[in-house]
Amino acid sequence: MNLEKVVFGFFVVFALTLNFGFFLGEMDNPDHHNVFELFVVIVVNLIATILKLGDRSQIGAVLLATSLVADLQLVAAAIYWTMAVHVAESGLTPDVMSSIVSLSGGALLANVISAVILVSETLMSRL
Amino acid sequence: MSTPIDLSRVTFIVMREMRWPIMALLLVYSLSIFGMVFVPGIDDESGKPQHLSIFHAFYFMTYTATTTGFGEIPFEFSDAQRFFAIICLYASVITWIYAIGAIVRLLQNPFFIHAVAEWRFSRSVRGIQGPFFILCGFGDTGSVLARGLSDYGWPCVIVDDSEERIKALQLRNYKVPMPGLYADASVPKHLLEAGLQRPNCKAIVAITNNEEVNLKISTTARVLNPNIRIITMSKVEVYEDTLVTLGGEVHIVDPFKTFAKVLAAAMHNPGFYALNRWLVREKTASIDHYVNPPIGKWVICGYGRMGYEVNHVLSKYGITTEVIDPDKDKGKDLKNYIVGRTTSKTLVKANIEQAVGILAGTNDDGHNLGILLNARHFNPNLFTIVRQNRHLNEVAFAASNTDMIMQPTLVTARKILFLLIAPLLKPFFFHLLENKEGRKETMEHVIERLRNTVGNKTPHLITINFTHENSKAVFQWFDEGKDVFLGDLLKDPDNRNRLLELVVFVIKSGDEIVVLPEEGYKIKAGDQLLFCGTGRAQRLFNATINNEYKLFYVQNGVFMPRSWLAQWIIKKTNRLGV
Repeated sequence: MNLEKVVFGFFVVFALTLNFGFFLGEMDNPDHHNVFELFVVIVVNLIATILKLGDRSQIGAVLLATSLVADLQLVAAAIYWTMAVHVAESGLTPDVMSSIVSLSGGALLANVISAVILVSETLMSRL
Repeated sequence: MSTPIDLSRVTFIVMREMRWPIMALLLVYSLSIFGMVFVPGIDDESGKPQHLSIFHAFYFMTYTATTTGFGEIPFEFSDAQRFFAIICLYASVITWIYAIGAIVRLLQNPFFIHAVAEWRFSRSVRGIQGPFFILCGFGDTGSVLARGLSDYGWPCVIVDDSEERIKALQLRNYKVPMPGLYADASVPKHLLEAGLQRPNCKAIVAITNNEEVNLKISTTARVLNPNIRIITMSKVEVYEDTLVTLGGEVHIVDPFKTFAKVLAAAMHNPGFYALNRWLVREKTASIDHYVNPPIGKWVICGYGRMGYEVNHVLSKYGITTEVIDPDKDKGKDLKNYIVGRTTSKTLVKANIEQAVGILAGTNDDGHNLGILLNARHFNPNLFTIVRQNRHLNEVAFAASNTDMIMQPTLVTARKILFLLIAPLLKPFFFHLLENKEGRKETMEHVIERLRNTVGNKTPHLITINFTHENSKAVFQWFDEGKDVFLGDLLKDPDNRNRLLELVVFVIKSGDEIVVLPEEGYKIKAGDQLLFCGTGRAQRLFNATINNEYKLFYVQNGVFMPRSWLAQWIIKKTNRLGV
């Protein structure tokens, strides 16, 4: 067992599960999507990204790319949320909420790819 | 084609080193924001405690962690919030200091600095589009050579194992890119970074101070690139034997041998030394002023490498020499060998009064100048040759009123420069100096023509390769089945009644060498041509061979019609051009 692999796998899967949790629920209903959950998703995603930095292999590069995509989407969602609440002060109307959730949905897809690559790489090294 | 060290190594180091500092920052920020949001603030009107939103907490942390301190925004904090803000502030500031420290430590790490330098170097090598040379060793010789190449517009990649020299290189103003790397050039990796296997790398010059390193560089270069020209400096025969067997094109430059040959040539062909000096653009050189070393008895002071080579050449031509050297073993085979340091006593013993020339060839500059003064005292009419070992002593030597000053570094640099930019000069000189009927007159003729064309202007030695890229118009003519004669190319494309200020020395066509070709010479694809002319002549010559309109004009004296209408009229009226 490799401690680095454990931590690595933990954060990759954790980013996926948290992202899924935030995504779950009615798309345009603000009550189903917690702002703190989004905050934690972003933090965990960033941690996962940092853990992927510096891997020189081909798979490492693809993993990093998926992570960067997820970060980009989630940060975009967070900025949109902040803008809607604090700057435009329109509040979380259904159309705002559905945009935020769809952005996080994109991030979810990137996280799924990340997890799939992680699992398949592990399986390949088992063979 | 293997790619040398790439970006990945530098980014890899940055990422690996910065991983933990960034991770620490992320954790401290996220925990602080999380805390700030949950710590209750002052109650609002309805009696419920206010909370910071995530956005406001992030804003607060942004200005607190960077010690900007805008105050309590957006509303006054409760004491609980203030207490937590203290914790946040210390934690985040300390983390920032740690992160910045890590960055600074990384930037100061010599290995990191070197990795970045290597990466930058190989990037700028890849940026060189045209042909270039690799220069290993940037000492006195190397810097003179680099200056010469820059004057001719040839880029050069420099590798030297002295950091100071590479730093000095970066401060020089060259006309062309001259990337430099501080590294051991005998390591194959660095030669690859320098572009050894790039198709536009034309030659590698190994002139470090260390003979063994030069040999290593040459061997490595030959293994990694079987077609590259190798030029190196060698003074040890054992190495020369190895170098010759490397295969391919290998030139070994020995400054003392070169000088001895030039001296011998000058004795028999007074014009040659003047021509040579003028071509290398020596400051005081003029094509009108001949130096004429007299034939008679010579005194050679110092029997080192220079003394040996000069004595060897002079003896071969039947000139008597007296050699003075403190080492009594070196000159055992010589007839006239005087053991001792060169002083007035030994000079008298060598019959300095009857001598016609003296060579002060020790490896000590002060001693060499002293020998000159001493010898002149006995015989003021002596022809003097002095060896200047260090470039720094230039002023003293220039003031010494010597007939010939021999600087080994300069001789090497110029010889290599000619090998690189004008490889055809060697067969040309060989032809001129051949001991045959009429060659002296040919030389005089060449000098006369140079005087009339280039005169006092700076001479440019230009090699033209008739390839598709370098002479588009000429190849267009070939494709159309038309002939191109050398005489036409020598006309001024602005006014064909004038001739360009240049003299064609030699044309190499396949394996055949044509010295001083006639005007009726028919240019063939793949020919290589060497001429000496002014800078303007070089530009115009290139214009003629690349521009079909100019080529048409110099050939026919009329202009080629450009528009369809003009072409149609010309065709109808059955004329050749406008």
